[in-house]
Amino acid sequence: MSPHSILRVHRLRVAFDHPLGTVQAVDDVSFTLLANERLGLAGESGSGKSTLALAILRMIKPPGHIQGGEVHLDGTELSSLDQEAIRRVRLAGIALVPQGSMNSLNPVMRIQAQIADALADHGVVLSKAELAARVADLLRRVGLRAEVADLYPHELSGGMKQRACIAIAICLSPKVIIADEPTSALDVVVQRQVMETLARVQRDLGAAVILVGHDMGLMAQFVDRLGIMYAGRLVEIAPIGEIITRPRHPYTQMLISSLPSLEARGTMHGIPGLAPLLRDLPPGCAFHPRCPKADARCRTEKPAVRDLAPGQQVACHHA
Amino acid sequence: MTTLMEIRHVTKRYGGGRLSGEGMTALSDLSMTIDADRPSITAVVGESGSGKTTLARILLGLTPPTEGEVLYRGQDLTSLSGEQRRDFRRDVQAVFQDPYEVYNPFYRVDHVLNTPVNRFKLAANRAEGRELIAGSLRAVGLRPEEILGRFPHQLSGGQRQRIMVARAVLMRPRLIVADEPVSMVDASLRATILGSLRKLTDEMGISIIYITHDLATAYQVSDNILVMYRACVAEAGAVEQVVKQPQHPYTQLLISSIPKVSTTRDWLADEGDETIRAIPGHDGCRFVERCPVAMARCAGSIPPLYRTEAHRATACFQFDASPELAPAEMGQVLEGAVALPAPVKGVNQP
Amino acid sequence: MPQAARFADPPQAGSPDEVYQAIVWGFRSTRPAGPIRHDRTTRMSGFLRYLRRNKSLVLGSALLLFLALFVIIGHFLVDVEDARALSVRPLQPPSWRYPFGTDRQGRDLLAVMVAGTPLTLRIGFIAGFLGVGIGTVLAFVAAYYRGWADTIIRGIADIGLTVPGLLILIIIAVSIPGGLSVNQMAIVVASLAWLNPTRTIRAQVLSLRERGYVEIARMSGMSGPAIILFELMPNLLPYLAATLVNAVSSAILASIGLEVLGLGPIDAPTLGMTLYWVNFNAAMINGWWWWWTAPTVIIVLVFLGLFFVTVGLDEIANPRLRKSA
Repeated sequence: MSPHSILRVHRLRVAFDHPLGTVQAVDDVSFTLLANERLGLAGESGSGKSTLALAILRMIKPPGHIQGGEVHLDGTELSSLDQEAIRRVRLAGIALVPQGSMNSLNPVMRIQAQIADALADHGVVLSKAELAARVADLLRRVGLRAEVADLYPHELSGGMKQRACIAIAICLSPKVIIADEPTSALDVVVQRQVMETLARVQRDLGAAVILVGHDMGLMAQFVDRLGIMYAGRLVEIAPIGEIITRPRHPYTQMLISSLPSLEARGTMHGIPGLAPLLRDLPPGCAFHPRCPKADARCRTEKPAVRDLAPGQQVACHHA
Repeated sequence: MTTLMEIRHVTKRYGGGRLSGEGMTALSDLSMTIDADRPSITAVVGESGSGKTTLARILLGLTPPTEGEVLYRGQDLTSLSGEQRRDFRRDVQAVFQDPYEVYNPFYRVDHVLNTPVNRFKLAANRAEGRELIAGSLRAVGLRPEEILGRFPHQLSGGQRQRIMVARAVLMRPRLIVADEPVSMVDASLRATILGSLRKLTDEMGISIIYITHDLATAYQVSDNILVMYRACVAEAGAVEQVVKQPQHPYTQLLISSIPKVSTTRDWLADEGDETIRAIPGHDGCRFVERCPVAMARCAGSIPPLYRTEAHRATACFQFDASPELAPAEMGQVLEGAVALPAPVKGVNQP
Repeated sequence: MPQAARFADPPQAGSPDEVYQAIVWGFRSTRPAGPIRHDRTTRMSGFLRYLRRNKSLVLGSALLLFLALFVIIGHFLVDVEDARALSVRPLQPPSWRYPFGTDRQGRDLLAVMVAGTPLTLRIGFIAGFLGVGIGTVLAFVAAYYRGWADTIIRGIADIGLTVPGLLILIIIAVSIPGGLSVNQMAIVVASLAWLNPTRTIRAQVLSLRERGYVEIARMSGMSGPAIILFELMPNLLPYLAATLVNAVSSAILASIGLEVLGLGPIDAPTLGMTLYWVNFNAAMINGWWWWWTAPTVIIVLVFLGLFFVTVGLDEIANPRLRKSA
């Protein structure tokens, strides 16, 4: 049985209008997300990964705008939907756990009220008893005690708040959950618990997860496939085992080797040079100033994305 | 052995008092010495709330301790004369976490480099000052012509952070306290910046206290490590041993919680609970509520640091067969600059 | 835990930050090139672009400029001596000869406006500058050094602010024998004008002094006064400017208040004194509408101008009020 693709992004482009020119934040990104799959999107700051997540949900605000491309959710083309319809898709079809969301919980509302808010916004009207039962069920799924429903955000620890955010995200049983750096503000021990919660929730719902972040260790242990973003482009995407053992793109190779390991000392290497400013990209391949394999062709011709195998692509002249 | 800095039984509490009730203890009876003769990098690793940032501020003289003394070359920091204070400022410098906050947005980045040169009269004339600054920038891998004359917002976070390291180096300090110097910097630049810190120790003889929550970078760059948990030292020793064979249950938990970049996927297991047992208001080991191997005596009193090996000390009753860390042995536990005397038993609890 | 780097963006072309830097560092573009091309645009174009967005500032400045021109050109068109009593025929409605009419004591009202507006403004500026000047010094001392200095300064300011200001001014004005001159009036108003600036500037300094760059400056060997002057002050200048305009506005209001009550300089043709004479002679009941219209319109223009400038400066000073690009 061929795996069923739940989300298909095709040639998505997002630009920001700067007084001195247009900045290409997401440049021609295409990928497919299978049902029940965990996909990672890794990249450093300025690589466009958060913008991509927002663009999938059509949540780009001016001065940014979606220049082109399509997003298909389970067959429905999202760009053809009007405002009201796309609003219904958010949370019910694709849920987003944004960066720093644990600090964006409404400080004057109890957790139960915030979940009820989300439900009511999508026209789910429940009686008091039904609501309490639904909230208790959601909290149980994310590993929180039922009493948490009556607490205010400031009474919860960081990990608990983040899990409450996950509970809000899954309250309408979405098909796709996008988590943008969900654990970047948490301690490493708590991080593990929150990621375990996310994995459990994903299994229960049969949903797919897109994890956006820059912690490669987290990606290695959590995702099935990993996409690497650089300067707004998806330069490589492959199963996680392949990325770790046989990365094809030079940037991925250098990224993997730059990670500090706990195995042997003295093995940290940096990547020379600086990440390019999106408003001032070099011609040709955006990575060529820092690439050890760059040649004349790389300096003039932007490499196209090539398929290496199903679900595996790379954008490099030398891969 | 010349002692550069010494912390004696320092406790730091925030808040509290008659009206506010309980305060928060950031550091609990900490003692430490920093040796001037043998430069090394000591990592202080802990989660938020462990007290590592408070330790940094106390070492830098930015925060006074609630109890205990902080001594610079034998003199209490609060009783330094003007000239001694200047010497202290030159000997002990800092690199902070946020590479943007530390720049006054009104000035170009030259300002942050010129100020110490002028204030400490590090150069005889302007030409010499410029040369000194250029040299420091090159020492951290920056090109002066690309950096000087720019405003902070025109440079990347990594560059700004390296300028801060260059600024610290300008004064040729004996000790640099680096508080999370790379956590707000892109991953690809971290190795470069930490590499330049390592160079400072190896080539210029500057000791570094590297404060971080990231055990992996601590392992890569430092010689010794102190693991802190909730205002106390849990384990200390040579970094290779502490990381490869952790003795304290908290260190073990910390290391196993780090997701590793490998094809073995053993990190996500059954969901663990944060607290294994609740013992409100106890006077014992700070980790007892989360410790998988806690014994009855753990809730009763705080374990002292036991010297389990030549270069290792652990504060856990499991090792009470080993001798308690005696003052005379302090210099040998940690290779190089940092040494720990024994803490006093029966520490007061909040 | 590592957060995705939160580097602040460079001042957007045409943003308040850029304007501020332009004013201070001059309109030349930043030093050489390199890969950051966008900074080569001159700051002047950014400045003009910003003015287009900050309409308040433009409107306020235009109003004040208009008044300034009115006074300057008026001095050429009108004989200022006619602002004194018994100069011209009294109680003439506006005509070509006397565009603003004349009052009961024989003053040419146009001359009065031309001569009196700068006097009123002068009181406001002197009192405003004195008030903010004293307030700034006290605020910095209190906020930077804290301790006893802070407690005393803050205590006096707090107590002073609770007492109705006009009441104190009246008592002071009444106690000075022989009436007030224009400059004495300014000093009287200044005696209270420092209270509010002290509190507000102190609050700003309190927040600024926790910034990372202040700690770095301390570690680089800078002394307290040096930090205040070189690190804190430059970042406060926009806020001080807004506070100053505010203080000038309040001072003018206070002085007009005293004058209308008859406690001002009797011989001076200030706007407030004109209104006093309007009251004294029951001009409204008697139907001499031109007498009170002229000063009222001018006062309204002054306050509108100052108000819009304050709003405009507030936008530069307070980042949270900035409209996003």
